[in-house]
Amino acid sequence: MVDHCERVHGRHSRRLVAAFMLSVVCIAGAEFAVAADENNYYRLISITTPKAQTDSRSKTWKPALDGLALEVSGMTMLDDKRVAVAIRKGEVWMLDGAYDDPPNNVRYKRFASALHEPLGLLRHNDSLYTAQRTELTQLKDTDGDDVADEYLTVAKGWGVTGHYHEYAYGPKLDGDGNMWLTLNIGMGLKGKQLTRTVRDPILGYQQGRWRGWGMKVTPSGTMVPVCAGMRSPCGIGVNAAGDMFYTDQQGNWVATNSLHHMRAAAFFHHAEALASMTQPGSTIQGVTSVPNGAPLAQAMEQFPQLKPPAVWFPYKKMGQSATDIMLDDSGGRFGPFAGQLFVGEFTQASMSRVFLEQVDGEYQGACFPFRSAFASAVLRMAQGVDGSVFVGLTNRGWSSLGASSYGLQRLVWTGKTPFEIKEMRAQSDGFELVFTKPVEQRTAEDVQSYLMNSYTYLYHSTYGSDEIQKRDLTIVRSIVSDDGYRVQLQVDGLRELFVHELVAAGVRSRNDEPLLHRHAYYTLNQIP
Amino acid sequence: MHYRHHEMLPRSVKKEFKLNTRLMVATIICLLLAWTRASADTPFVSGFDRFARHGDVESAVGGRLLLSELSCTACHLTDVQDLQPKGGPNLDGAGNRVQTEWLKKFLLSPQTTRNGTTMPDVLASLPEEQKMQAVNALSAFIDSLRQPYPQLKANGATPVPLEFWKHGSVKHGSTLYHQIGCVACHDPDDDYEVVKIKPSPIDQLLEHLEPDDIAEMGLTSTARRVKSVPYGNLPAKYTYKSLTFFLLNPEKVRPSGRMPNFQLAAVDAADISAYLMRSVRDNATAGKSKSIRSSEAAKDDSELVARGRKLFVEFRCVSCHSVTGLQPTQSSKPLAGLQTNTDASCFNSPQPDRPHYELDEFSRNSVIAALTGVQRSPRKDASEALHLRILQLNCLACHERNKQGGVGRFRKPYFETVGNIDIGDEGRLPPPLTGVGQKLKVPWMQNVIDGKAAVRPHMHFRMPQFPKSATQDLPTLFNQTDGGTEQPSEQTVFTAGSKSEMMEAGRRLMDVGCVQCHSFRGHALPGTVGTDLGGIANRVNPKWFRDFLLDPAALKPRTRMPTFFPNGSSQNRDLLEGDTQKQIAAMWTYLRELNSQQLPEKIVHARNQNYELTPSDRPVVLRTFMKTAGTHAIAVGFPRKVHFAFDAEQISLAQAWRGRFLDAEGTWFVRFAPPADPIGKEHIRTPGGVPFAALTGPLQPWPTDAETAGYQFAGYRLNENGVPTFLYRIHQFNVEDRIQPTDDGGLVRRFILRIREGSPDVADQLYIRPHFGSALMFEQAGEYSNNDGLTVSVSLQSGSAGELRNNQAGTEWLIPLEVKSKTQVEVKYSW
Repeated sequence: MVDHCERVHGRHSRRLVAAFMLSVVCIAGAEFAVAADENNYYRLISITTPKAQTDSRSKTWKPALDGLALEVSGMTMLDDKRVAVAIRKGEVWMLDGAYDDPPNNVRYKRFASALHEPLGLLRHNDSLYTAQRTELTQLKDTDGDDVADEYLTVAKGWGVTGHYHEYAYGPKLDGDGNMWLTLNIGMGLKGKQLTRTVRDPILGYQQGRWRGWGMKVTPSGTMVPVCAGMRSPCGIGVNAAGDMFYTDQQGNWVATNSLHHMRAAAFFHHAEALASMTQPGSTIQGVTSVPNGAPLAQAMEQFPQLKPPAVWFPYKKMGQSATDIMLDDSGGRFGPFAGQLFVGEFTQASMSRVFLEQVDGEYQGACFPFRSAFASAVLRMAQGVDGSVFVGLTNRGWSSLGASSYGLQRLVWTGKTPFEIKEMRAQSDGFELVFTKPVEQRTAEDVQSYLMNSYTYLYHSTYGSDEIQKRDLTIVRSIVSDDGYRVQLQVDGLRELFVHELVAAGVRSRNDEPLLHRHAYYTLNQIP
Repeated sequence: MHYRHHEMLPRSVKKEFKLNTRLMVATIICLLLAWTRASADTPFVSGFDRFARHGDVESAVGGRLLLSELSCTACHLTDVQDLQPKGGPNLDGAGNRVQTEWLKKFLLSPQTTRNGTTMPDVLASLPEEQKMQAVNALSAFIDSLRQPYPQLKANGATPVPLEFWKHGSVKHGSTLYHQIGCVACHDPDDDYEVVKIKPSPIDQLLEHLEPDDIAEMGLTSTARRVKSVPYGNLPAKYTYKSLTFFLLNPEKVRPSGRMPNFQLAAVDAADISAYLMRSVRDNATAGKSKSIRSSEAAKDDSELVARGRKLFVEFRCVSCHSVTGLQPTQSSKPLAGLQTNTDASCFNSPQPDRPHYELDEFSRNSVIAALTGVQRSPRKDASEALHLRILQLNCLACHERNKQGGVGRFRKPYFETVGNIDIGDEGRLPPPLTGVGQKLKVPWMQNVIDGKAAVRPHMHFRMPQFPKSATQDLPTLFNQTDGGTEQPSEQTVFTAGSKSEMMEAGRRLMDVGCVQCHSFRGHALPGTVGTDLGGIANRVNPKWFRDFLLDPAALKPRTRMPTFFPNGSSQNRDLLEGDTQKQIAAMWTYLRELNSQQLPEKIVHARNQNYELTPSDRPVVLRTFMKTAGTHAIAVGFPRKVHFAFDAEQISLAQAWRGRFLDAEGTWFVRFAPPADPIGKEHIRTPGGVPFAALTGPLQPWPTDAETAGYQFAGYRLNENGVPTFLYRIHQFNVEDRIQPTDDGGLVRRFILRIREGSPDVADQLYIRPHFGSALMFEQAGEYSNNDGLTVSVSLQSGSAGELRNNQAGTEWLIPLEVKSKTQVEVKYSW
């Protein structure tokens, strides 16, 4: 049925070009083409990026007519050639040749099937592990034919009421060999779903057991609830120190997307996770009321278990739906950000970058835009053996930028160093910026090169929060280090538990480049 | 494909000789004038240029069009609804929308700065120096009209990236601009590549005809090149941000709706803006956002601003442009009282205190003709009012109505189908409006105009949204004009019949042809993209539906919709006695209820090809949600066509069936994760519950929950044939549980129990419960059946055959087990 694909030039009427219009002179300078510029430093290679037959939100969604519906939901590296990929329809595939450039001869082999929405994949102890809706499963190939023949249940026992939103994510491995999982909250449970819930007798919240919790499975196979209050904890990842983090997504109780350090007895956002507070093994005790409608700082006073995120991702500015967390563990083969975390972004089909530091034993830090223009929603990221990053895409059920519906791309550092704010550290009187290249003295010293404001959020049960108590801040002084890599900004009016938003539009490098990304957002939970 | 476009300039006036002689001479003169004078310095009104100048509409209609589109009636008030002024842009926020330098040039000389503008020159009569002062004051005032840009709402369905207006893609913007409908009115780009499509027969014909022949065949209007609505030098006028925000909500700035709202995503608006501003990208001279004005800057020129504000009212700018807090203070002669022969009119030589319109003689004469007409009989009937309205809103740029208008001949190549599927012009061009008042139900037509009715997913073109204020009576006008007000009811149109019979016949009739081109509530044959027939009963009138099916081409010339009832007789004699009227009624009945009906069989079949799991050489496993087997269901299908569902939470064989296995679509691809339904037949609820329990004594009830009964599910293992063996633990036992079809269409379940090394013993006696029911019937030794027709037999390596016990749950068959290091139990199910 499809025919006529030859491209020809369109014809149109003679245009009435008013030559004198050219005399109208326009002012000012365009700031443009960020995606194209990013490509100079981080090049995108598309391995497969199909377009579905239907819109991403269609009730009757259909994949592309040809090929595998590679809606990537988990990824793990096998060796220098092969990548294992879990897909949302419930399979695991081995891809051979995915590192080729161009990737013209990728071979696909199915390793496992019949998984119920697996949302993670981990190679560990010569097996693959994945979290299905109902359990953590070990996939074993016992006869060496590269097809799994054992689907062994490693851990289960969390509530599955049948509500679609009850996704289970993971596993990821921490520094001590524990496998971590996160469990989505259910939404508006009804009918039979309610028969599969637990209920907190005081607060009245009702959810499937451990819904909204972060769990770890110890090397001996015991599942332990660790922390709670998650809404849609789609991303899990370890930092260089072996500590485990998760991302949450804006919605009820969650003001905007966030990154959290998962540790025992911490509570993050979603109050309904307290339905499991009285279950044996719960690390949260004694919450008898939950504030609803207070600014974060006040809410924390009324609800001491509530811990602020290490990083807020201000809505729209830093994405709309945070996903996976990936540590750049390549020792520099992925560019100048070794040891930092990268966070996927679904709706805007992009990736963000995170700098973390510890103040008084607690993580906090800054996020920066990193790379946009992926072909579809970024759900998963995994670093390849050569330091490049495989990026798994799928936007079904929601929407994203990008012309594709799902697929796999690879992000490769070109070897050129972008001019970026690499680190942003809190100081007692402001912030220290560390750049990837030496700054030009005059622009970096000029306080007019920077704008800063700060704001916080409401803790409440409604969907998302505006930025509240917003205030413009005065940058008093800017001191440039001798080597030009560091700038100390002295800022008036720092506020704890506020996001400090920086736009360093005026700063130039010594080669007179503007910053590739001028924005940075520091979550100042504590002033050092 | 080659368009001989240069030869096709509208030189021919042959057609006009068909008009009466009184008009003839004037028309010829006017046409010649039109051709020579339709130059750079006159206002451009699309409908006027395309139709009135060529005599396709009467001069007085053209004049009425000018009265509204040139906003004459903004000063010369009239209560005639059709003639209300288009008006100019709302200038609140113009200060951060428009570049000041451009604004000054525009005020100095509107026509030369923005060629084709409908804004008159209000300063035309001023001496040069005074004019400059006025321009400075007016532009300072307009520059002071600043407003913060709106915050766009974002959520999981609407991406709004940081400073999206800065990151537009020229390439994608160009694609959108050419595909979604902008080029129906505006200039396409010479360099834009379109997919070559086969021109329609008429277009083919036009390519080969001489102008004289074209005129003779009455195709002059069709053949004529349609001029573009000019938009001037956008990079000089706008910023990236202001143009992007304008495209996102044109109505806010231009409430007339002449520029409709394409309901763009934020990034798409940025892309189109980047494309329209592309000439500045190379030399990077423009595009800086204007910030919200600081209060100090405002103070500095407050005097100038105040003067501008005063002039803005004095020059009557305020009559066309709304600015919060300003109202017209002067009155002009009402429209009805205007002299048509006066020298002092706005379109003769510039006069003090009057706006000046640069009109050619044809336009002037048209206005005069209209004024004469208005004074004689101001009010027009629905048909005339409608015609004027669709000229004003330029509906005819896209839609043909009564052989007038439609996408211009040389613009058609830009209208492409999704995936470039060839489904003819009607599959890619906006639908004609001829008879639309008969066809569409009024509420649905309102939805279409409101931009809420995207039913043609195969087109890149989008029906934009028009403001309510300009369109709320349009559906009624169409309805009245096309004689659609007296619609016969469904009962009158369609032959009655038994609903279930009609429903089934309607469904089967869909397979005759409809499914080849149409989708049904989102489902279609592979590769088929067409208008969805779901909801059609809410869209079209019953009578139109019937008439269209009887003879599609009569209502829609050149349609690709085939006739299934040639000469009114059905091709299908098997259904409803081959009665045409009954069959059409059946199709309506089925489609009206489509949401609750099974899809047409061919679509069901095609879906099954994609989503039905059919075990061929090995078993197929699917983990999913199921109604019977719960949220931890594991369905297993076998090539022998006997299947079962296992509940891995309750460690229970929940259900078995024969025939076809399972539809996986919901599990694989539906966000809301619906439970999977078995497809086949001869379903049987297997006994369910945990298979084993350690009981303190024969009176202890059988456990109802696997977790409290001490079970732990441990997964499954596939053997070399792909048959799963479920693994679980209960107390000190490891259990392997393998379920397979028997030769006679039942299932056999083999348990192997082993004692786990080092696990503490549970003292209680372990039982197996092979069967239970409201009553159990003894069949033979080791075999019982229940009321549902399920027979269960057990073969033990050794030990007792157990006994029945009765309790509230009904009758249970329990067998005590002596587990050595390894014990095997086999249970057979037949039904």
